[in-house]
Amino acid sequence: MNYQFNWSVLWSGQSGGWLLRGLGTTLALSGLAWLVAVALGIVSGAMRTVPWKPLRVVATFYVEFFRNVPLLVWMFFWYFGVPPLLPLAIREWLFDHGAEFWAGMFALGVYHGARMSEVIRSGIQSIPKTQFEAAVAIGLTTFQAYRLVIVPIALRLIVPPATSESLNLLKNSSVALTISVAELTFQTRQIETYTARAIEALTAGTVIYLGLCVGIATIMAHVERRFAIPGLIARGG
Amino acid sequence: MLDLAVIVNNFTFLVVQGLLGLGGFTGGTLRLAIPAIVLGFVLGIFIGIARLARAWWISVPATLYVEFFRGVPLVMVIFWIWFIIPQLLRLPIPEYGVALTAFVIFEAAYFGEIVRAGIQSVPRGQVEAATALGLTRAQSMRYVVLPQAIRNMVPSLVTQMIVLFKDTSLASIIGYVDLTKAAQIVNNREIRPFELYLFIAVVYFIFTYSMSRIAGRFERRLA
Amino acid sequence: MRRILAGLLTLGLPLSVVSPALAQQSTLEKIGQSGVLTIGTRTASPPFAFVNKQNEWVGFSIDLVEQGVKPAIERKLGKPIKLEKKESTPPTRIPLLSSNAVDLIAGTMTDTRTRRESVDFSLTFFVTGAQFLVKKGSPIKSIDSIAGKRVAAQQGSTNARIIRERVPTAKLQEFPDQPAAFQALVQGQVDAYTNDGIQLYGLKAKAPKPDDWVVVGDFFSYEPYGMAMRKNDSDFRHAVNVGLMELIESGKYFELYDKWFGPKSETPYPLTAENKRFLIMQVVPK
Repeated sequence: MNYQFNWSVLWSGQSGGWLLRGLGTTLALSGLAWLVAVALGIVSGAMRTVPWKPLRVVATFYVEFFRNVPLLVWMFFWYFGVPPLLPLAIREWLFDHGAEFWAGMFALGVYHGARMSEVIRSGIQSIPKTQFEAAVAIGLTTFQAYRLVIVPIALRLIVPPATSESLNLLKNSSVALTISVAELTFQTRQIETYTARAIEALTAGTVIYLGLCVGIATIMAHVERRFAIPGLIARGG
Repeated sequence: MLDLAVIVNNFTFLVVQGLLGLGGFTGGTLRLAIPAIVLGFVLGIFIGIARLARAWWISVPATLYVEFFRGVPLVMVIFWIWFIIPQLLRLPIPEYGVALTAFVIFEAAYFGEIVRAGIQSVPRGQVEAATALGLTRAQSMRYVVLPQAIRNMVPSLVTQMIVLFKDTSLASIIGYVDLTKAAQIVNNREIRPFELYLFIAVVYFIFTYSMSRIAGRFERRLA
Repeated sequence: MRRILAGLLTLGLPLSVVSPALAQQSTLEKIGQSGVLTIGTRTASPPFAFVNKQNEWVGFSIDLVEQGVKPAIERKLGKPIKLEKKESTPPTRIPLLSSNAVDLIAGTMTDTRTRRESVDFSLTFFVTGAQFLVKKGSPIKSIDSIAGKRVAAQQGSTNARIIRERVPTAKLQEFPDQPAAFQALVQGQVDAYTNDGIQLYGLKAKAPKPDDWVVVGDFFSYEPYGMAMRKNDSDFRHAVNVGLMELIESGKYFELYDKWFGPKSETPYPLTAENKRFLIMQVVPK
């Protein structure tokens, strides 16, 4: 009745190559999606704090709508819902050039952009109002005050929560397998099919995700220390 | 285009079985999410406090716990609890037990981080004042620090609860028939992905959005 | 670095504890003690095992267990037992067996030599093979005409594996579930969808306009479905096989076949003379 472990399935045959390829896809997918998420997060997060209401409404709508609906639904939306709206030629070209990857990338990026936005908003709002007033008082325009004062400080405040959120993005990239993106979790399942060794394959996946996340968290902890503004932001040990 | 008959015909299954967990199958999103949020938060408070403990034999294991569970995907945690614990205990655990244990253990790591950040946001002077008044460390934590910390934590706590609420859909991999799984079962039979996923998206949205609204009001009242 | 190491240790710990063999109890003893036969099966693989419109868990594989395997085990144990169903999916079914959570996998599991290294199989209770579902008028006629084409498959299926090996130039896209793969075919993300023939016929019957779709090509794989159980438990395996043989011998199997695959069923799939002979020849004398 006991499960007989056979770890060699992970490096014998094609398994090793599959895991590497899956890792590559996971990194590419998460990396690009991260850029989208950060861009959207900064724009919408900043928009939610400006004094002009219509901008705030648009940004709030984006955030609430996207972060409250499960990622899986967004995956289907970008993969199945969007292409029929495109012209035939573009659609065919996309289908021939990995449409699932781009759909997955957008789904992940736009979804996490909404969550990143919350992180950024709370970062900006935790900056005392006097900072902004002081910036305006010395003659900066609203835009300049944001670009030169508020955003640089907020960026530092948000590094820890943004790191958590980025790790979530990395782990959530596995949902892309539902629209046939061959990322890391997909490849671990592939190994299971070929070798009938589920626990070994899952463990390989676990260890790789763990390694990635711990690695990124360590790097970000360094970044946090490096860019900390003395006296302004207390940092924990 | 949209054929809502599929929703109407399967409404009872989706809502009663999938959302509430009352039906022929082990399942229910709310039945899992509510206890998971409560227990995960309680365990998270202990872990958050433990991370700040002076004794290294308390703070180091707590830190390891947090770092480990924040680094692995939830799916893996569910699988490990599902396959390994029964072998250790020599008795099978029902799906509900597996799912609840996995969520509480996993989410406690995230709640723990939030609690830690919340506690650290309380100015030191408060603790010093409490000590000066003659409160013990435990008392000052209980009566002075935690009430204020919780106030500061509300936004992140709610975000995490929303995440947890949606994450419960992962319990479907062990055959737990929650809202997502119920929709998948109907979908495999009827092949109506758009209508079904749209419907569950709306249901999830209603819950998560009201959570953030309630939290918003709570936040303003506390401010 | 120290953190990573500690993490790995935490992960490795349970393994070393699990490895020593626990007290062995045969499956028949286990069932006799608990009075329950637990099977692992699918929730969405009509007509083998699925949740029907009344939300009951039914299907051909489940009927085979209820009407053949269960009575055989009851006779062997000399007492009535209850049947309990749990969901098992391709990645979970083998671990579920080895962790004792279920005693028998009865769904749509193909018997393969690789899998026989981890589990034992009953005799074959259904034979099918992979084909393609395409839009009417598609240039794809069989596995020989899919080079360069976009082909959807169910993730981790034996069919996907064969395509990858035989036609590496085909652009294979694997989906975890059937509706997504079918949706991709309907919308043109892919040119063909491959799966076991029986499942494709089921899908075609469910499509909004069944006549728009055709199942093409000879079987390019051989998919014999069997029931899986823990390795090296020949008494239990024998009881399961006796149950299946009696179903075939008494003709009950063919009644059930007609119920789920007959002309009046939702997924008509005629039993070929060849397959019928094969089933009958698996029945060894008393």
